Amino acid sequence: MNAVEIDSLTYTYPGASQPTLNGISLRIEQGDFLAVVGNNGCGKSTLCKVLNGLIPHFITGQFEGAVRVEGQDTLESDVGALARKVGYVYQDFENQIVRPTVLDDASYACLNYALPDYRERGREALRQCGLEGREEEYVWQLSGGQTHLLALAGAVSLRPDVLILDEPIAQLDPMHADRIYEVLRALNEEQGKTIIVIEHHTEYIADYCKHVLLMKDGQVQWLLPTREALQRVEELEACNIFPPQVTQAAHRLRAMGVLPAGAPLPTTVEEGKRAFAALKLHPQGAAPAAERAGETAVSLKQVSLSYRSVKGEPRTIFDGLDLDIRRGERVALIGSNGAGKSTLMKLMVGLLKPKSGTVSLFGANIGEKRAEDLSRQISLVYQNPEEMFIKDSVRADIAYAMQVRGVPDWETRTDALLERFRLTGLQDRDGRLLSGGQMRRGSLAIGVALEPGILLLDEPTANLDIATRREILGVLEDMQDLIQTAVIATHDMQLVCQWAQRIIVLCGGKVVADGSRDEIFARPELAGQVGIRPPEIFTMARALNPDARCYTIDAFTRCFGEA
Amino acid sequence: MNKLSENLLDKFSMDFLRNQVLKNAYGNDDTVIAGLDPRVLIAWYLFFGVVPWFVQDLPFLLGCFLLVMVTTLLARVAGLVLFLFAVGVFSQTGYLFLATLLFGGDASAVAPLLVLTLKVATISLASVTVFSGLDPDRLSNGLMWYGCPERLSFSISYAYRMLPMLMEEFQNVLLSYRLRGNPPAHDTLLGKVRYLIYQVRIVVESFYPLMLNTAKRSRTTVEALELRGYRYAAADKAVKKIRLSALKVTWNDLLFLALSALWTALAALCAALL
Repeated sequence: MNAVEIDSLTYTYPGASQPTLNGISLRIEQGDFLAVVGNNGCGKSTLCKVLNGLIPHFITGQFEGAVRVEGQDTLESDVGALARKVGYVYQDFENQIVRPTVLDDASYACLNYALPDYRERGREALRQCGLEGREEEYVWQLSGGQTHLLALAGAVSLRPDVLILDEPIAQLDPMHADRIYEVLRALNEEQGKTIIVIEHHTEYIADYCKHVLLMKDGQVQWLLPTREALQRVEELEACNIFPPQVTQAAHRLRAMGVLPAGAPLPTTVEEGKRAFAALKLHPQGAAPAAERAGETAVSLKQVSLSYRSVKGEPRTIFDGLDLDIRRGERVALIGSNGAGKSTLMKLMVGLLKPKSGTVSLFGANIGEKRAEDLSRQISLVYQNPEEMFIKDSVRADIAYAMQVRGVPDWETRTDALLERFRLTGLQDRDGRLLSGGQMRRGSLAIGVALEPGILLLDEPTANLDIATRREILGVLEDMQDLIQTAVIATHDMQLVCQWAQRIIVLCGGKVVADGSRDEIFARPELAGQVGIRPPEIFTMARALNPDARCYTIDAFTRCFGEA
Repeated sequence: MNKLSENLLDKFSMDFLRNQVLKNAYGNDDTVIAGLDPRVLIAWYLFFGVVPWFVQDLPFLLGCFLLVMVTTLLARVAGLVLFLFAVGVFSQTGYLFLATLLFGGDASAVAPLLVLTLKVATISLASVTVFSGLDPDRLSNGLMWYGCPERLSFSISYAYRMLPMLMEEFQNVLLSYRLRGNPPAHDTLLGKVRYLIYQVRIVVESFYPLMLNTAKRSRTTVEALELRGYRYAAADKAVKKIRLSALKVTWNDLLFLALSALWTALAALCAALL
């Protein structure tokens, strides 16, 4: 039986001139684990909202065709009835949590639909989502990953047959991401639920999903078994979807004639071990070690900091932390969610004051510096770009800091920045209403407006699809002449490997490792301890030859490419 | 002195406010007061919130005041709320007292002012006990039992769910201003005044991005509420019944009522005898 049947569906949002979904016909089997992939704006989220009846019952518009979920026509049903068949977890899942305690939120929908056993259902859903024992906790005590599991539990509690998740792991570190997918796999295999994820992390698709649906311009391109789907490298890349690194590497090696022409491409490291078994490592000269010259730019000495907690003792974030960052370094700050990365950055720009210890900038204590001087030396770009937009246009936001400081010819400099970050055409729009990548560029432009010597970036690639991530990486490379010293806090290990010279690993408010990528990723015990993971291509190369140090696909094809 | 003022400002940050709001709402859910049935507490509040207005008798008011002081202590109310209470009550009557002296009154004006102070203080503390001793959820369930519309009780608990998020967002927007703004120098008196005006202006201006960001967030919340059956619950009597079935009057509630009644009677008796 099919969980979802769609026949020639065409849907146009109210006021839009073009249909967002255009002639879609589709069958999704019961018990499938389906990944929906496609370009930004190709209609993935819209398609999912059609399934739970939000379209056309809650969001109106022009709707043609038929959608049946578990045999029920969505036009003849209502959102309430459909909600019990289809659970939905949003990309910005924290906004979907409306109750203060965990159990309350998990059972909220059941209570609303007047199910007498609502508490029991909530508990069961929490158990299935791995939140057992946290029933009485308040929602703001949960980490990002746990909050996501709670949003999932809220959907699972109604016992729907279909679960839809919109980019479930966009904001999570690899350990939490694994947990989400393990929970989904259990729901799929043990409970027989049909799972639909909108996902662009193809490594996870390869590991967990059974089928892949490619959408393009509001139409279904194809729906294929995962292995077959990920082989179609050119088609995927044309839609800005990048197959797993292993697959990309194999694809290149096949084009180079190293792998036989008709050979199937591996999609996971396990498959890669077989496919690449015949290849030999040709060690390349080690990358020149980054010189650690330069004066000390930021220095933390014996810094302690704790947050007030609602109940009981204050929560200690740092206890006697020592850290030096030198001029000219490109530092990546990594560690799991809640390790203290954002807090450390706020300390460095003086937004937080340490309880004890000192934070100094080029040798001077920042507590004694005037805010005005400080912002010319160091700047922070928030994880959430919305919070950096304080004016009503991108232009005004970029100009603000220069304008209020009376920087000479601030107007021409604003023009130059807009040009550089390709925002000239958008300069009069409100920053909040831009797309994810544009917002990110806007926030970077704001961050560098005063030409600070040190730039701190908090998760610059979170919530972006792979293509936009690449774009931001390009922008970072491009900014090198503006910024001498940069620190990036991130979970994105591809970004770390391609960009950083020095990696600092934080865990529980302590620096547990500090060094070059070779030094960090050569220590597998670190990965287990702090929830970080090298890029897939690195793991692949190491599985073939323990001496390999390949951080990019280019490096991999160079090292293993010669016959 | 400079150090002290900076320290005070530092303490009175958004982070502190957020913490106090949360503490007030949820930080004391294990107290005696929080364990009581909300319906009983609301009834109790109706007595101590209304009766003192109509009584002029000093010993009786003093008795009531002592009682609500004890319940406030039992509820472990957050410091900020108590501070605001103290400032509110005593600035009001202190100002009256000064006015009385200024317009030719003397020490005999103290007694009527004391009565007024006690009335206001008793009523305020009774409110503080009930509204911050109970967590917002239990409070809204109690209100619902008395027939308040579902939407009101949902709003109360949702507001408490949203407040910490809003305050965090507000804090971040303020920090954006602090990072990029250029506050006037504040080493002279004039500079200090200018600095204060600047700060107020920034706080006001921060509301604009805050509102837009909140509007952006609420798009998801509105859809999620629809999916999670919020609209259905409002129309369904069975939901109300299920929700209220969790309320139970226990021996503790009766004991609390009995002790309150006994104490009030004692105060009334004293008032009659004296």
